[in-house]
Amino acid sequence: MGIHLLYIEDDAEIGTWVNDDLKGRGYEVTWLQNGERAVDHAAGCRLVILDVMLPGLDGFTVGQRLKKAYPDLPILMLSARTSIDDKLEGLQFADDYVTKPFHPDELAARIEVLLRRSGSYSSEALALGHLLVYERENRIMNKDTGEEIVLTGKQFQIFMYLLRHLGQILTKEQIYEGVWGDPYLDGDKTLMVHIRYLREKLERDPANPEIIETIRGVGYRVKA
Amino acid sequence: MRKTKLPKPRFRGSLLSRYLLLILIALLFIPVLFPASVIGYQVVQNMAIGNALPDAGIQPEERYQTIHLEKMWHNEAKRLKGSTPEEIDRRLRELSEEYAKVDMFWVDADSHVRQPAGGRLHLPETWDAADAISYMKRYRGATQQFSVIAFIGDDEKLNRGFMVMQVSKAAIGPRDGGLSARESMVFFGIILLMFVLFIIVSWMFFMNMRRRLLRLQSAMTVQDGSGLPDPIAVRKSDEIGQLEAAFNGMVDRLDRSLKREREEEELRKRLIANLSHDLRTPLTVVRSHVYSLQKEQLSERGQELLTLTETKLGDLAGLIDNLLSYNLLTSGKYTLHPERIDVLRIVRESAAAWYPLWEKEGFEADIDLPEGPVYWMLDAQWFRRILDNLFQNVVRHARSGQYIGIRTATDAAGGLAIVIADKGKGMQASSGDKGAGIGLAIVGFLTREMGLGMEIRSAEGGTSVMISPAAGDEPGLKLR
Repeated sequence: MGIHLLYIEDDAEIGTWVNDDLKGRGYEVTWLQNGERAVDHAAGCRLVILDVMLPGLDGFTVGQRLKKAYPDLPILMLSARTSIDDKLEGLQFADDYVTKPFHPDELAARIEVLLRRSGSYSSEALALGHLLVYERENRIMNKDTGEEIVLTGKQFQIFMYLLRHLGQILTKEQIYEGVWGDPYLDGDKTLMVHIRYLREKLERDPANPEIIETIRGVGYRVKA
Repeated sequence: MRKTKLPKPRFRGSLLSRYLLLILIALLFIPVLFPASVIGYQVVQNMAIGNALPDAGIQPEERYQTIHLEKMWHNEAKRLKGSTPEEIDRRLRELSEEYAKVDMFWVDADSHVRQPAGGRLHLPETWDAADAISYMKRYRGATQQFSVIAFIGDDEKLNRGFMVMQVSKAAIGPRDGGLSARESMVFFGIILLMFVLFIIVSWMFFMNMRRRLLRLQSAMTVQDGSGLPDPIAVRKSDEIGQLEAAFNGMVDRLDRSLKREREEEELRKRLIANLSHDLRTPLTVVRSHVYSLQKEQLSERGQELLTLTETKLGDLAGLIDNLLSYNLLTSGKYTLHPERIDVLRIVRESAAAWYPLWEKEGFEADIDLPEGPVYWMLDAQWFRRILDNLFQNVVRHARSGQYIGIRTATDAAGGLAIVIADKGKGMQASSGDKGAGIGLAIVGFLTREMGLGMEIRSAEGGTSVMISPAAGDEPGLKLR
C-alpha cells in the first residue's frame, strides 16, 4: 500500500500524465476533475495536489476548505498562473507551489519534501551515507560501527531540521530561526558551534564533512 | 484635423466691442469731451452763482459779457427813439444803476454832452466832430476799455444824438479775457479726472481679461486624480468665454481618449494573461510527452534532440512567465512594500534555491558575501524576483562560461553593492536565444520602482550586474 495522494486537476491530458507518473512512483492516487467533493475524498490522504484553475470552485476556495477540514494536510498548489499575488494567495494555506509546465521529477521531489516535513516518512529508516536515521524513535545508527549516535537536544533539532529539508540548502538564518524560533542575531556563532559538534559526532571525517555539506557563502545542506 | 464648430461670439458683449468702445472714447476726447467739459464747467458755475443770487433775471456775470452789453445798448437806443432828452436821462440813470461798472453818457442833437448818472469820465461840455474822433482814438483803440456807441433810435438819420457806454475790460471780468487761476485749476481738474477715469476703465478692462486668463491657466495646470485638468465654469460668452468652452471641450476629448486608452490597455493585459495561461497548459502536455519519450529506447541522436527540445520548452515557459509578470507588474497591480531588510540574507536565500540548478548544469558557484548584515530599503518579494531573473539569465545565456559569481563591491558613492557576474560571451554576443530582454526589462522596472541603481557591464569575457541603492543618483538601468 503506497502513500495516498489526492490530485485535483481538470485538464484530462495533464491529469492522466501526472496520475500515471505518480502511480509509477509508488503512490496511490485519487484524481478528481473538480473540487466539489474534494473534502470528502481527502479523508485518509496524506497530501493534496491542487490545480488553481478549476471549473466551478477555484483552487483557492477548494484549498481553503480542505485546510479548514484538515489543518495538518499538506497542500501542493499546481498552476499555470505565476503571478506574485497568486503565489501569496495560494501560500496562505498551501504548503508549496509548483508552476506549469513542471518537470515530473520536480513535482515528485516537492511531494517528498512535503511528506517528510509533515512526518509521513518517520516510520521508515532513512539512509544517509553511513548513517541510518529513525525519525520517529529519535535514533541515529552508525552503519560502520553498529553503534547508536547520541546527540544533545539542540544538535538533534538542527539535524532534524536539515533532514526535513532534505536536499535543500538552508542559510544560517533559516536554520537558526527554524530551530530556536528566535530572530537570528548578526554575528551569532552559536549555530556554527553546534554544527561543529554535530559533525564531530556524525561525520566519518569532520574535516571533510559528507553528511552536512557546507555551501560556501550560502549555508548548509544534507543531501539525500 | 477635425474642427469643432464653436458658436461665433455676438459682437455685443465681445472683447472686441469693448475695446473699440475704449478707443472711441479716447478719440472723442478732443472734439467732444473738451467742449463738453467746458459746458459742464459752466453749468456747474452757473448753478453755483444761481444759487447765490436766486432773484436775478439775468446772471450778473452774463450781463457784463461784451456781446450782451453791445446788444443791450443798441436795444436801449432803439427803444429811446422819439424820447425827450429828460426821458433819455432817466433811462440812462436806471441803466447806470443796473450796470454799476459801466460808464454812460449821451450827446444830444445839439452836441451837448449829457451825463445823467454823473461819472468818472472827464468829458467836454459839447461834443463836436473833432471830439468824437478824439474819443474814438482814445477809447475805441484802447485794449483796456470796451465801449459801445449807438445812435438814439438806433438810426443815424434821425439825428437825435448818440449814446455811449464805456467799461474797463478789467471790470467786466475774466469772462472775456482768459481764465482766472482758480477757474483754470477747476477746468484742468475736470480734464484730469476724465483722463484718470479713462485710465481706470482701461485698466479694469485689462485686469479683468488678465484675471480670467490666469484662471484659465491655473485650471490647465491643476490636475485631478486622472491627471487631467478639471473643466471650468464658462461665465461670459466673449472671446475668453469661447476659449474656456474650447478648453472644456479639449478636456472632455482627452478624458474620453484616456478612458479608451485604459480600456485598450486593460484588454491587452487581459489578453496577455489569458494567452500565457492558455499557452502554458499545452506546454505542460508537450513536456509530459517529451518526458515520457525520454523513458523510451531511443538512439543517441534521438536523446540529444529530445534534451534540446526539453531545454527549449523550458525557455519558452520562462518567457511566458516573464511576459505575464511584466504585464502584471506594469499594470500597477502590485504595490511596493519597502522594509529595512538585510539584503545579503535575501541574496543568500535566493542563491540557496538556485544552487542545485547550478550544480546540475555544472556551474562553478563562487559566492563570497560578507558576514555582517547590510540593510537596504527593499520589498523582499520584488528583490527576490530581481535575483531570480538575473540568475535565470546567467543559466540561460551564459551557460558557456560555467561560472556564476555573487559578491559585494563598492559602488561609485562608496556604498556596498551586490555584483552578479558570469563568464559567458557577453550580452552583445547572441546566445542563440533572445529571451534575456524581457527578463532584464522586469529587473529594470523593479529596480527603478525600488529606487535601486543597476549597472550592467558586458564584454566578451562575461557580464556583471551591479545593484546598489541609488544614492541621489537617478535610479534605474544603466548600460555600459
